[in-house]
Amino acid sequence: MRRLTLALIAVTLLAAGAREATAHHSFAPFNLEAEKTISGTIKKFDWTNPHTWIWIDVAGDNGKVETWGIEGMSPNYLGRRGWSKNSLKPGDKVSIVIRPMRDGSPGGMFVKATLADGRELRPTGQAAD
Amino acid sequence: MRSTPISLVASAVTLLVILAERPATAQTAAAKTAPTAADWAALAKLPDLSGVWEIGPGGGGRGRGRGAAPQGPSLTPAAAAKRKELQSLGREDNQTANCVPPGMPGIMGQPYPMEFLLTPGKVTIVIEAYTQVRHIYTDGRPLPEDPDLKFHGTSVGRWEGNTLVVDTIGFSPLTDLAANVPHGDNMRIRERFTLTSPDTMSIETTVTDPDVLTAPYTTTRTLQRHRSWTIAEYVCQENNRNFVDEKGKAGIRLDDPAGTSGK
Repeated sequence: MRRLTLALIAVTLLAAGAREATAHHSFAPFNLEAEKTISGTIKKFDWTNPHTWIWIDVAGDNGKVETWGIEGMSPNYLGRRGWSKNSLKPGDKVSIVIRPMRDGSPGGMFVKATLADGRELRPTGQAAD
Repeated sequence: MRSTPISLVASAVTLLVILAERPATAQTAAAKTAPTAADWAALAKLPDLSGVWEIGPGGGGRGRGRGAAPQGPSLTPAAAAKRKELQSLGREDNQTANCVPPGMPGIMGQPYPMEFLLTPGKVTIVIEAYTQVRHIYTDGRPLPEDPDLKFHGTSVGRWEGNTLVVDTIGFSPLTDLAANVPHGDNMRIRERFTLTSPDTMSIETTVTDPDVLTAPYTTTRTLQRHRSWTIAEYVCQENNRNFVDEKGKAGIRLDDPAGTSGK
């Protein structure tokens, strides 16, 4: 029940663009109404503040490989919810659901990732005590 | 010397009388003496606000009941006009995107933990977001009459039973009272920190600002204590790819994946 409530609050706050929950910056560069799934190979995982960054090489329709940059929550936040600097490693085959950039550049905001073995990585959840 | 001059004795007696008449309080205002063992022991009698806390689920400044939107500040006509003007600029973000910390009161509403340290004459709040620190003096000193203007103002506090009551004044013009609501010269913030259960604390924050608000603006947050947590580092400039330009346009730099953390 608590998990559902937290998810509902998170979705409501995201939709409203509420300042209190966002910290650091707004969601303006992202299209929050859209969802896109990209698949490829992890190039680099920045376990840094103020945001983690996932760099993933994605093969385009023309076969050309392009590096996408996906912004995630702070490692401080993720680390308390089951993530670590080793959650994604260069070479990992991953598919990531994102809110894409409004201007069409190769990037977006992290929603969730599915690893090669089927496990999911999400930025939500109750913090471990 | 056989006998001490009478003037020296008189001076010594006078000095002793003066010293004896000083109030025997443990903490005198802005005392420059070292805290005594008694001062340290006295901390154990205070409500235990120590440790690492974070705003709990549903406890982030909301009104009564789940799903209730918090009541916003009641603005004077001038402040409402100013907010409308700022909103019409279509700014997509504020300066926190450029790693400028929000200052008070916003710094207390971040989704990151904070650590309360109680020492003689002082409560220190180490705030993980943007690695910020607030100093609250509980040694009886008054608020300054003409404070320097700072992101967190100048704070003094006192214990009223189980509640730490803190008053803060003197805020930098680089901080806002709320989104698109600049504060006036006379904004004051009063906070009441109360332990509501063994590991929950309520913080009731009341902002008054005669130039901006028609009524005091009060929000209440509930914090959860996490005994096993530590405050993590947060250097905003470590790998900041966000920015907002002088026109208020928000952007993200996707170039150079190696970035500042790449090797």
